[in-house]
Amino acid sequence: MIQSLADGILVGAILSLGAIGLTMVMHILRFANFSHAELLSIGAYSALVFDALFSGILPILANKIGPFSMTWALTLSMFCAMGVTGLSAMLIDRFVFKRIREKGDELSMVFASFGVAMIIRNVLGLIFGLKSQLYSNDIVFAVMISSDPMLLIKPDQVFVLLAALLIMLVLHFVLSRTTFGYALRAVAENPSLAEVSGIRLSRVIALVWIIGGCLAAAAGVFYGLNNHINPVIGRDLVLPIFAATIVGGIGSVYGAVLGGFIVGIAANMALLVLPSGYSPAVPFMIILALLLVRPHGLFGEPQT
Amino acid sequence: MTIKRIAHKGTITAGALLCMSAFATSASAADCSIKVGAVLPTSVDWGRPIAEVAQYAVDLANEAGGVSGCDVDLILRDSQVDPKVGVDGAKALVDLDGVQLLLGAVSSGVSMPILTSVAVPSGVMMMSCCSSSTGFTALAQEGKSKGLFFRTFATSGVQAAVGAMVARDKGYNSVAILYKNDDWGQDISKLIAADLESLGITVTTSVALNDAQPSYRAEVTQALKGKPEALYLALYPTEGSAAVREWISLGGTQNMILANSLKSDEFRDNVGLQYLGNATGTDTASPRSESASAFVDLYKAKFGSEPNGPGLSNSFDATLIALLAMHAAGKDASGSEIAAQVANVTDPNGTAVSADAAGFAKATEILSGGGTVMYQGATGNVRFDSFGDVSAPAVTWTFTEAGTKEASYITLEEVDEFMASVN
Repeated sequence: MIQSLADGILVGAILSLGAIGLTMVMHILRFANFSHAELLSIGAYSALVFDALFSGILPILANKIGPFSMTWALTLSMFCAMGVTGLSAMLIDRFVFKRIREKGDELSMVFASFGVAMIIRNVLGLIFGLKSQLYSNDIVFAVMISSDPMLLIKPDQVFVLLAALLIMLVLHFVLSRTTFGYALRAVAENPSLAEVSGIRLSRVIALVWIIGGCLAAAAGVFYGLNNHINPVIGRDLVLPIFAATIVGGIGSVYGAVLGGFIVGIAANMALLVLPSGYSPAVPFMIILALLLVRPHGLFGEPQT
Repeated sequence: MTIKRIAHKGTITAGALLCMSAFATSASAADCSIKVGAVLPTSVDWGRPIAEVAQYAVDLANEAGGVSGCDVDLILRDSQVDPKVGVDGAKALVDLDGVQLLLGAVSSGVSMPILTSVAVPSGVMMMSCCSSSTGFTALAQEGKSKGLFFRTFATSGVQAAVGAMVARDKGYNSVAILYKNDDWGQDISKLIAADLESLGITVTTSVALNDAQPSYRAEVTQALKGKPEALYLALYPTEGSAAVREWISLGGTQNMILANSLKSDEFRDNVGLQYLGNATGTDTASPRSESASAFVDLYKAKFGSEPNGPGLSNSFDATLIALLAMHAAGKDASGSEIAAQVANVTDPNGTAVSADAAGFAKATEILSGGGTVMYQGATGNVRFDSFGDVSAPAVTWTFTEAGTKEASYITLEEVDEFMASVN
């Protein structure tokens, strides 16, 4: 029980990071981006490449930080990966979504996002192969926090949770204390009015993609650290991330954070009552249950 | 003049007749032919050799005088590994060509609908080389296959039994099971749970793992709860390595028993050899008998390569046993009459016959005289149980730096004895 709760929170942190980017894009651009989870794969794989590079150039960087399987090389790689992924997200928008936005409607965007997801997934598969890879082959043993009730936590999980919370905090300040934050909210509220007031729409959109990409990359690296990396992690994570976004309410960054934790906890706790074979259905059940009660999600508001 | 001409004509006729009879002798039994149907996935790369080896077995039979003095005509239909296509093909073979014997199919998912919607309703005997699902056993137990179905491929039961055997030999008292949530995984997890229980080994939990899940943490936590002494894994490499890494990091035991699906470098590399020292794998094997190596030689002589693909030896035996049963049942026998003769071809007390042209000729002679034979083929001394299933020898294996190595070989008799003792 306690164990499932703890695991749920730790898994939830990763989902939250993914959901924040998704909810921002969905809010500003008003379309369901099914390729968002692929940004996690891009992030995870670029970190893998940078990690190999840094460890190769400076072997001292390959030492582990304290009890974690995270190395200095991987920490550096994560920031590089965030840059690469943010840039890729922006480029994908420039070359695909922007063009469709100008000509087609929201539905075309949704279909295009499916296409983009498949292209990314398969290109990654072509480059890196279909098998699972790991940042570190070592298995870090979990620490027993208490034996009754049983509670085992991996140091990596704690690290991921803290890092995720830190990233969220930074984002919170950016959104609430900077002009960019205000501009963002203005665009989300009413794009035309925001443009009339002197906000450059294209710049805000590009920044939203970059932020979404950065957060996704961090989520991808954290996921890879705790689990494994393969070209289909986007496919595996797209539903939980969507569930988190919808539960939190589209457009609400704080809702996305909470939604991530709710989905993570629920998926872990579900096994206490459901046979494990049914666990993939849990995110859907949460979406259904929540939408019946609050059609716009926990923090969402009806869009104008 | 007239007389001379007639005489001349007579010589020609006699000569022609002589020629024809000479032909007939060399082609053994050209005056009649028996149609046998086969539904095999010839359009996929691993399916084609299975069909080729079946055709080769038919050629050997024809060389040895055919079935009931007639040449066997194998009519091959491609199943494309698609149940719909397979059923269509089988239906055409039964309705249009009037076959009483169907060979195939390979995948359980194709064989099953052919059996239930074509073979059983039409009373046609079916012999599969390669379907392993215990669904067929269940169908036979319910009497729904009417004794018409046989297969020369061991069921998942053999591997489950060997897994249980490993647990017993290593002295584990409690085992948790993690299995892939598909037909195969569900099947094998139920089988091994039953085997372990009857050995007095506690199954603490049996947890299904779905494909493509972001994390298996919850499932692994679930399995950890009973604090088992060992872990049985019926998983594929991707989710297998994810789950085992979680398992080990959470302090789960490193005593592991693995199904053959985890015989993979990906699994070994991702988990790490240092954690797999106490992991024992299981797999079915081909028998180490003279008749099995005889098949390997025969195959190499014919196809110029080792019979390494899946189901080759099984397809060879399936074809020859079915043809011998057909011979024993006599001309124009119905499917159920042929099925009834299978026991006389694989009689452990019968005369031993080898799986080649000479053996086939000897077997047909004995069967025609009302005797029984013990067919010794590519998969050893094939023997079907009352549900049309066969057993197979097995191996256990462990991981090494280079890959895997065989740890022990368990003969067919040992497997059979063990399976009988736990059921």
